[in-house]
Amino acid sequence: MTPPGGRRPDQGTVESLYPFLYAGTSDPDAVLDQVRASTVAKIAEIAELRQTVADRDAGRLAECAAAAAARFQAGGRLFAFGNGGSATDAAQLATLFLHPGAGGAGANWPPLPAFGLANDTSVLTALANDIGVDVLFARQLAAFGTSRDIAVGLSTSGNSANLVRAFDEAARRGMLTIGLAGYEGGKMAELDSIDYLFVAPSSSVHRIQEAQTTTYHVLWELTVAAYQQARS
Amino acid sequence: MTEGPTGVVPGGPDASPAAGLFELRSAPTSALADQAVAIANACHAMAVRFHRGGKLIVFGTGGAAADAQHVAVEFVHPVIVGKRALPAISLTTDVATVTGVAEEDGMAGIFAHQLRYLAAPEDIALGISADGDNESVRAGLATARAGGLLTVALAGGDGGAIAKEGTVAHVLTAPASDPRIVKELQVTTYHVLWELVHVFFEQPGVLDPEVVA
Repeated sequence: MTPPGGRRPDQGTVESLYPFLYAGTSDPDAVLDQVRASTVAKIAEIAELRQTVADRDAGRLAECAAAAAARFQAGGRLFAFGNGGSATDAAQLATLFLHPGAGGAGANWPPLPAFGLANDTSVLTALANDIGVDVLFARQLAAFGTSRDIAVGLSTSGNSANLVRAFDEAARRGMLTIGLAGYEGGKMAELDSIDYLFVAPSSSVHRIQEAQTTTYHVLWELTVAAYQQARS
Repeated sequence: MTEGPTGVVPGGPDASPAAGLFELRSAPTSALADQAVAIANACHAMAVRFHRGGKLIVFGTGGAAADAQHVAVEFVHPVIVGKRALPAISLTTDVATVTGVAEEDGMAGIFAHQLRYLAAPEDIALGISADGDNESVRAGLATARAGGLLTVALAGGDGGAIAKEGTVAHVLTAPASDPRIVKELQVTTYHVLWELVHVFFEQPGVLDPEVVA
């Protein structure tokens, strides 16, 4: 059961997580203990979720990376899209390919062409005003996408209508299509238009986003490694 | 091609490289728990500022610019229904100003300039840097501090220059050297920041500075 859109009540309410705050206590140590324990619990939760994703999807991530590397090899480009927090993940994924930076595992790796489709406020507001938010990404893919390219859509709910439209457009154009979703995948899990769907099985939007960040970082690292290998 | 430990179909893709990359996250994630007290203290101080009518101003460069925007949308439009909107802006979305300042005064001034003219003393400045050495973030935090803002930094590794200088009120580190893993820990950190700010903010009793030191 997943409502449309990404907004929903969190499983544990704030009150159940922090009973001391609601019991009218003014004991500062008790309050601090409570919030500290909650932080530690969340960290354990994300560690477990990452492990689940790794156990389920490590093989498919490698396969997906090989397919993406082949697209780049053929001159393709990557287009990343999502709404809200996922728009910032799309921006991060695009800049990761376009400007890997000097630090860490990807030092001196080649930049690859990638676009964040939530970056241009002129295009987004024009489309939203003239047509509606459902076409924000599909319309841009229609303008740019070719059969050599890669489309990556990120959603926590898996239900965003503008992602569903974007994947339809991308598949129609023969793009390699990659989806990241949470919960049980939502509508995205029902689509034939997504070649590789990676689901972070959690009901917390925050933990889903954290696991997705690791998923696309790993996907980037494997993709560039495969691309390098193919060129050497 | 060698066989990975998990999820391998014979003749299928090798799962071990991906599994190995996920495993690299385990120890740093556990170590993040050491930051729990520092995170709680920062959240309490931030809640006090929101209570006084302050806004949150977030900034970073490269991938951290995307994080700054994520933090801003998190506060302005919470994903959890029923949480009130709190005022927050990121300093990388005004591309005209950012590139204008960078061209005329250099990169180091892109956040400091905006803070000088957009910030009020009751505000909160949150700088994000993967290694803690980023010059524009440090300059932004210095300007914020001079303006009386509460200063908070998410600084990766050992906190770099930001931690060494010791002038930022709350430095939250992310114990990893790979900038990608640092980012992942910082995403968890700012999600927790948002949640705990609301926990404190909804309890005016604990916003008295005397109650929680």
